[in-house]
Amino acid sequence: MAGSPSRARRYVLLLVMLCGFAVVLFRLVNLQVLQAAELTAKADRQHQKTVSLEGARGTIVDRHGKVLAMNMEVPSVFGIPTALESPAKTARSLSPVLRVRTDELEKKLRQDRSFVWLARKLDPEQGHRLEHMPMEGIGLVMEGRRFYPKGPLLAHVMGFAGMDGEGLEGIERRYEPQLHGEKRVVILQRDAMGRTVFPKGQAEQVPAAGHSLVITIDEVIQYIAEKELEEAVTKARAKSGTVIVLDPQTGAVLALAISPRFDPNAVSSLTADRWRNRALTDTYEPGSTMKALVAAAALEEKVMKPGTMLYGENGRMMIANTVIHDHEKLGWMTFAQVIQKSSNIGAAKTGMALGDQRLYRYLQSFGFGQKTEIDLPGEVGGLVKHPREWGRRSLASISMGQEIGVTPIQMVSAVAALANGGVLMKPYVVSEVRDAQGKPLRQILPQVKRRVVSPETARTVTSILEGVVTDGTGAKAAIPGFRVAGKTGTAQKIDPRTGAYSSTLFVGSFVGFVPADNPRLAMIVVIDEPQGESWGGTVAAPVFRRVGEQVLNYLGVSSDEPVKLALVSNR
Amino acid sequence: MKMLAVTAGLCLVFVFVWERVDMVRLGYQVERLKHEKVVLERERDELKVKFSALSSPDRIAKVATEKFGMSLPQPGQVVMVQSKTKDSPASVVELRIARNDVLSGRR
Repeated sequence: MAGSPSRARRYVLLLVMLCGFAVVLFRLVNLQVLQAAELTAKADRQHQKTVSLEGARGTIVDRHGKVLAMNMEVPSVFGIPTALESPAKTARSLSPVLRVRTDELEKKLRQDRSFVWLARKLDPEQGHRLEHMPMEGIGLVMEGRRFYPKGPLLAHVMGFAGMDGEGLEGIERRYEPQLHGEKRVVILQRDAMGRTVFPKGQAEQVPAAGHSLVITIDEVIQYIAEKELEEAVTKARAKSGTVIVLDPQTGAVLALAISPRFDPNAVSSLTADRWRNRALTDTYEPGSTMKALVAAAALEEKVMKPGTMLYGENGRMMIANTVIHDHEKLGWMTFAQVIQKSSNIGAAKTGMALGDQRLYRYLQSFGFGQKTEIDLPGEVGGLVKHPREWGRRSLASISMGQEIGVTPIQMVSAVAALANGGVLMKPYVVSEVRDAQGKPLRQILPQVKRRVVSPETARTVTSILEGVVTDGTGAKAAIPGFRVAGKTGTAQKIDPRTGAYSSTLFVGSFVGFVPADNPRLAMIVVIDEPQGESWGGTVAAPVFRRVGEQVLNYLGVSSDEPVKLALVSNR
Repeated sequence: MKMLAVTAGLCLVFVFVWERVDMVRLGYQVERLKHEKVVLERERDELKVKFSALSSPDRIAKVATEKFGMSLPQPGQVVMVQSKTKDSPASVVELRIARNDVLSGRR
């Protein structure tokens, strides 16, 4: 008997079921064992979101905590061209908000790509407007953008950061390792709707913000310096100008102004020439300002005394087959008068009395021919040739500020050494590094480089330099009520076409300090290629006076002169 | 006894499920609060930048001179008054007066 049909059907049914189970089992093994790794990774990709985060760049504040640079999260806009129905319509609606031409936007949105940047790091107001717009096929992502709320103020010192947040110039570049935030890739869990959930442990995943910097500069002093410099450069129709104000006791930079200025918030259209920090990168022949330092060397070496008599050769002296001129016919004069009247012949004789080796030693000691090591990028060391490379006229030329290239920061640092009693300080701009919570991490203290001259010599030179302002070429630097010490300089520039000294291109400068008996400020003013009157005493000394009197008033420095007040009652 | 065990088991399952659901709910809440924090921080930073820009000496000087007609004191108008004390015969007192105002008396 071949079994009943019902039994056969049961076997068939069982077989079908077994086959079904076998298929399910095979699929299960396939999914759970054979494809396990691949499918787990796929699931992770769907549930997890990998985000690259960067901590905010550190803030930069002035010596009183005023914010000079800080980061802010602003929107960047991207498009998904493949998800757009009408690129033309989208471009038209976005164009006025993004301030990008419609055709330019449309061209981007018509690309066969799934992602395209439309505009990056917009202004916050643009972001607010975008929030209220329909955004199909358009996305926003927040990115950190650097803001310089004071605009052009201090731009040459601050420098700027690039689109990707890295420091490109100035403090931003020099202190890049301290300022930049930590970069970290974090993994977030998300649900079926794409929302981030289960942020367990995420607090620890937030990347740390960069360190903040406190700088030595005072924004008010900086403003005064920039305002007065801009006025002077405009008035003299000069090519450029520089003012540096130092605290002579510490070397702390209180202001560093360059003209023309630029706005670090909008550098894309500018060239490097505009944002170059000329106070450190450009050398110039200092002219007569060098005589103050040659005088200090001569007094220290006791080859001259303030009363030593020197003959002015009636304003004309032959050295190495070339003639040295003075601006007026001078006869016998004391050494102090040589400096006060800015006699080239007197300075040349002083240099010759010193000799090449001693003069060279003092030039080096005052910091010429080497970087001051200020904490800003781009500094050059200037040009000081070794005596073996000097010509027959070099000793005389260098003594009156020719055949030598210095930077404004070198010159003001050297004169600050005379102001503080003979000690060369290292100039510096950043005084403190703090963490993101404001806790001090590192304090940068004043640094002594070396003693250059004795306190007695510094006092004697100061007294001579006071005479420059009271009876000499620097009369326009005088600040009523204060004793000012300083030296004017007017240097001819080399004409690039002829390679000889130009009769029309000059650098007018004034370097000094105030109050002379207890200096609070050392300052240099350099005006490059002024038109018309180009004497340092005419174009630079008045800037020294105007900046000096406002800053002394701001700092509350009392006048040297007693003031008699007539108090009048209101009754 | 059995009923009690079943009830306890059900309670445990309920607590477990409730805890899981609540965790998800709290997760969303934390996310929302974090987002709020970010928005507020962004607003704070925006205000900081605005404050810094508005308190710029450049702007203050412009407002002072153009809007309020103020000008810088002329040389001699501001004097530091010195006091003579036993310890410090000529120490500076933190007091400034506009000399012209005092001399004219503003009667």
